[in-house]
Amino acid sequence: MRKLAVAAASLALILLVVAPLRLNGYFVNLIYITMVYVGLAYGWNIISGYAGYFSFGQITFFGIGAYATGFLINGLHWYWMVAALAGGIVALVLAGPLGYVMLRLRGPFFAMGMFGMAQTVRVLITATPATGAGAGLFLPPGSDVTSVYYWTLAVTLGAIALTLWIDGSAFGLRLQALREDEQVAGTLAVNVTREKIVAFMLSALIAGLIGGGFIYFLNYIEPDAAFSSRLDLQSVVMTVLGGVGTVWGPLVGGVVMTQIAEALWARYPQGYLIVFGGLLVALLILLPRGIVPAVRARFAAADE
Amino acid sequence: MHVVQLVVNGLLLGGVFALSALGFNIIFGVMRVVNLAHGDIVVLAALLCAYEFGTLGFNPLIVLPAAIAGGFVAGAAIYAFLLRRLPGEIASGEASSLTLTFGLSFFLVGSGLAIFGGTFRSVPFLTGALYVGAISVPEAKLLAFVTALILALLLGAFLRFTPVGCAIRATSQHVEGALACGVDIDRVKTLSFGLGTAVAAAAGTLLSMIYDLSPQMGVEFTVNAFAVVVIGGLGNYAGCFLGAMILGLADELTSYYIGANLAEAAPYVLFILVSLLRPSGLLGRRVT
Amino acid sequence: MSESLLVVDNVRVAFGGVDALGGVSLDVRAGEIFCLIGPNGAGKTTLFNVISGIIRPDAGDVRFLGQSIVGWPAHRIALAGIARTYQIVRPFSALSVLDNVAVGALAHVRSKREARVRAHEIVDFVGLGPLARRRAASLTLTQRKRLEVARALALEPKLLLLDEVMAGLTPTEMDGMAEFITGLGTRGIGAICGIEHVMRLVMRISQRIVVLDAGKTIAEGNPKAIQSDPRVIEAYLGAPVSEAP
Repeated sequence: MRKLAVAAASLALILLVVAPLRLNGYFVNLIYITMVYVGLAYGWNIISGYAGYFSFGQITFFGIGAYATGFLINGLHWYWMVAALAGGIVALVLAGPLGYVMLRLRGPFFAMGMFGMAQTVRVLITATPATGAGAGLFLPPGSDVTSVYYWTLAVTLGAIALTLWIDGSAFGLRLQALREDEQVAGTLAVNVTREKIVAFMLSALIAGLIGGGFIYFLNYIEPDAAFSSRLDLQSVVMTVLGGVGTVWGPLVGGVVMTQIAEALWARYPQGYLIVFGGLLVALLILLPRGIVPAVRARFAAADE
Repeated sequence: MHVVQLVVNGLLLGGVFALSALGFNIIFGVMRVVNLAHGDIVVLAALLCAYEFGTLGFNPLIVLPAAIAGGFVAGAAIYAFLLRRLPGEIASGEASSLTLTFGLSFFLVGSGLAIFGGTFRSVPFLTGALYVGAISVPEAKLLAFVTALILALLLGAFLRFTPVGCAIRATSQHVEGALACGVDIDRVKTLSFGLGTAVAAAAGTLLSMIYDLSPQMGVEFTVNAFAVVVIGGLGNYAGCFLGAMILGLADELTSYYIGANLAEAAPYVLFILVSLLRPSGLLGRRVT
Repeated sequence: MSESLLVVDNVRVAFGGVDALGGVSLDVRAGEIFCLIGPNGAGKTTLFNVISGIIRPDAGDVRFLGQSIVGWPAHRIALAGIARTYQIVRPFSALSVLDNVAVGALAHVRSKREARVRAHEIVDFVGLGPLARRRAASLTLTQRKRLEVARALALEPKLLLLDEVMAGLTPTEMDGMAEFITGLGTRGIGAICGIEHVMRLVMRISQRIVVLDAGKTIAEGNPKAIQSDPRVIEAYLGAPVSEAP
């Protein structure tokens, strides 16, 4: 069983690496977008799934990464990948103090607080002429889509690897403990403040790196797209579908839902909202732990 | 603009916020459920009013009782068929209900767009204004303000003096205790949720005369309601009203002195600040 | 007289005008089993919350091994060697029994694997061995109580605070738990401080007892002295304690 999984994963990996060289633009774009969504879902999964702090505003760091990257490319003429890396680091660094403040909130206050933060940042950027305000920030034309593809592939694979590591590590266990009961975790020697801030920062880093690639892909970014609550919704739905707090949940949920998302959003935006919103509601009631744990449970039962 | 006019505008805006927030407060106060779909219910009710006015000629005041009844049924149904079914497996029960209403919100927005389209509608009824000296007081907003005040008082009285109200308050303070006293918790929760959405629908009905609304605006109302409740204090109706006034004033003043786009962030910033510095709000009980 | 592991010095905690603890002083000495008793609402759990760092006292000091620990975050106190259980058991429901215990073990080892190895030994010690892989949510109350203790033991504490660890157990189970507690001395724990209501066991296993009532200490001494103290009997022990310790 294990060997089969490894073989399948290797094959998928090879296909992903070869894709830009073989497939036409449409499919490459589709895979790229899938990786963006999957990557964002993985970022969300760390702070919301493992640490249990459901955030409805992780998109803040996607946007911060995008804008930071844009400034570095336009202002300092850095090579885009370096700028994107820096953009991710900016998001990571900002997430420290922001997390220190916001993570003092719990449950719905944290979730809405994060939503509020995303909107506040959006409003601030829209009101600042230096960022291009509402019209957006433009990069010099001519983006190499292939390089963005590989960048995002690397970031997403990195996010998966990071999640794998977290899942098996002491850090991950501490996060799960604080998710279950923060006060008790504290009396069991878990430095809850530090751990959740670290989780928050890792989450921000992933979102920021992907954002950095995204602005290069589009050649521009505008506030509504950079801080889109729809993208936030997507990360939530995809991870809930796949399995919150699991290693493979965001991948499964992301791959499945991206196809639906892309098919709907362009042509039937209302349909998209109805499907994604309704699906989230249905999932929470019918398949609350998501696909991955449900499948695991099936296999476990079969083994006995 | 004259400062007094600004203040009057702010207070009236506060009335609008209060109207929208009262329903939210009932649900949050009683069940600790943050209904992220709250604003969408307000907006849908308003759009429905606009539709009825446009096609059937019914003005919102006539529609009001039906809206309240409809809102109640919708809320009771949301609780009974959706929220109650949550197994509470993901992280915590709170996270599940939050996420569920998060999804419900997008569902309602999408449905609203599909049914009503994206155009902004309002009901051109009570569009005049009263004048106190040089200060203009728009009729519809005044009505909203007065209604909010009356509703806040009624709700407060209902909760204090009726048996059902006591059951609701008992449940919000201590579920096991209420259970031990023979309170049907399920019924109380269904009732509370229905009551909350009924008030939201009433709010939407009145607001249709004040604002041009489209389905996507629901989020704004939800956030405003949340901010009001946090500022004023959970489960406290006087606090809700007070919080609404504060938010209304903050919004108007920021809008005028700093700029309308930045004012958009006012409720979020206030919400975050109050949550951090004084989590129980100005008048609320201490939250455990 | 052996040294004091823990010194509570005139601790005051007020909740909105009411003194939950109105100037409590006591000490817990090395090698002893110390019990805190008193009517409900006397402030016993509040005192535990102060010691473990969950609540900050409004006045007074708490010293552990000579160092003042007031104001320390809970995790630092746990690392220093104070472990506690909770009156209403709070297991990490979604985690396995083993992982529940492994969390505490991380105080002394670096990797999850090593923590699990240590956790296994403790889980076996408390008799939950066969259930190690089960989710904590599926445990019965008695099993959860043992899990509570196991989690605290994983910290390898010098001072163990047991909050009403007997509540909800059958008399046989209680005897078993009492044996278990007295046997804990072999695990290198410096002292055990328990909150309890089951008088016959309190009298049987503790070396010293402090009685708390309405946030103040009203008596202190060995079981025999406490049993015959008229103030204690008046405040609390309505019915005479029939068994001799």
